[in-house]
Amino acid sequence: MTTLHIVRQSAFNTNDYAQCLQVLGDNDVIVFIDDGCYNLHHHLTNNLIDNLNNNLSKSNVSAINIKLKVIAQHANARAIKINEAVVSKIEMTDLVSLTFENDRVITWQ
Amino acid sequence: MSDHALKTLAILNSKAPYSDSAGKDSVDIALVFGSFEQPVSLFFQGDGVWQLVQGQDGSAIAVKDYLKTFSAFEFYDIEDIYVCQNSLEQRNLPATFHIEAVQVLNQRDFAERLTSHHTIFRF
Amino acid sequence: MKKLAVLVTTSPYSNLSVTALDYIETALKSNIELVGVFFYQDGVMHASKNIQIASDEFQAIQHWQRLHHTYNLPLHLCITAAEKRGISDEHNDSIHAIFTVSGLGELVELTTKADRMVQL
Repeated sequence: MTTLHIVRQSAFNTNDYAQCLQVLGDNDVIVFIDDGCYNLHHHLTNNLIDNLNNNLSKSNVSAINIKLKVIAQHANARAIKINEAVVSKIEMTDLVSLTFENDRVITWQ
Repeated sequence: MSDHALKTLAILNSKAPYSDSAGKDSVDIALVFGSFEQPVSLFFQGDGVWQLVQGQDGSAIAVKDYLKTFSAFEFYDIEDIYVCQNSLEQRNLPATFHIEAVQVLNQRDFAERLTSHHTIFRF
Repeated sequence: MKKLAVLVTTSPYSNLSVTALDYIETALKSNIELVGVFFYQDGVMHASKNIQIASDEFQAIQHWQRLHHTYNLPLHLCITAAEKRGISDEHNDSIHAIFTVSGLGELVELTTKADRMVQL
């Protein structure tokens, strides 16, 4: 059972993304859309990636194998570069598919 | 609706009660789902935990005190009410609330309970 | 057929509504059944006839009309949230015809009908 987390807000502005990170479960998917794309520059994302790579649970993220995705169009519009080694580019059709591939959706806005 | 009766709703409350209407909008949804006998659980995270603090008085700032309607939850069979322990600790708040039957959950239990629901709204 | 419902809580003058419309249209084109869209909080502003957005800016209403007519997409308006924002069918006839005046009971209905209910 997995959850799709749609992150729409910049963590430089609100706590929505930080709160999302508190409820992650194993194999959950995070999709950055709208101003959520700015989180690719946020240390919370760097920390998350480090923890996932090291499989550590010392931070507030204890879940494993979280997939990070961003809607390419939304990132490109904001001149946010995507490091495809850690975050995969998707299109809106993929977001629709992910809605049904996961068991539930939480929108963080 | 009976063939879908097993679907459960979680409402995740993230805003403080007065300056934003989100808390009221959220309660309205909870009570309607409750009156349709749909299972609803309420979660309080971040500034949402302020909605549960004892001794508030919205009338002092001309806010209709919708927090009083929280005491009606039991009549709508809304009995699963959870608050994030981290959020309380960050705000130096005690685990005492203006309604009964609130359960304080650590991060992992809060996350697991929240994501055991089929539909999740966040206000 | 997969069934989707959407709860729109963001206003037509925010770029967030472009995303909501894009998501909904993409789902419709992917042969997903949209059981309905429910407009709540500032989302109810989408239904207002009195919104005037500069002609060179995104006209959310034109897209709702197109989707409604092309796909018979049900658009439900929370009337309590609408009236709070000056939008009414009784007092000032300010609701676009494509919207159905509803209450939160309809949100319950859509949530129970859909395989996924997504807030946008």
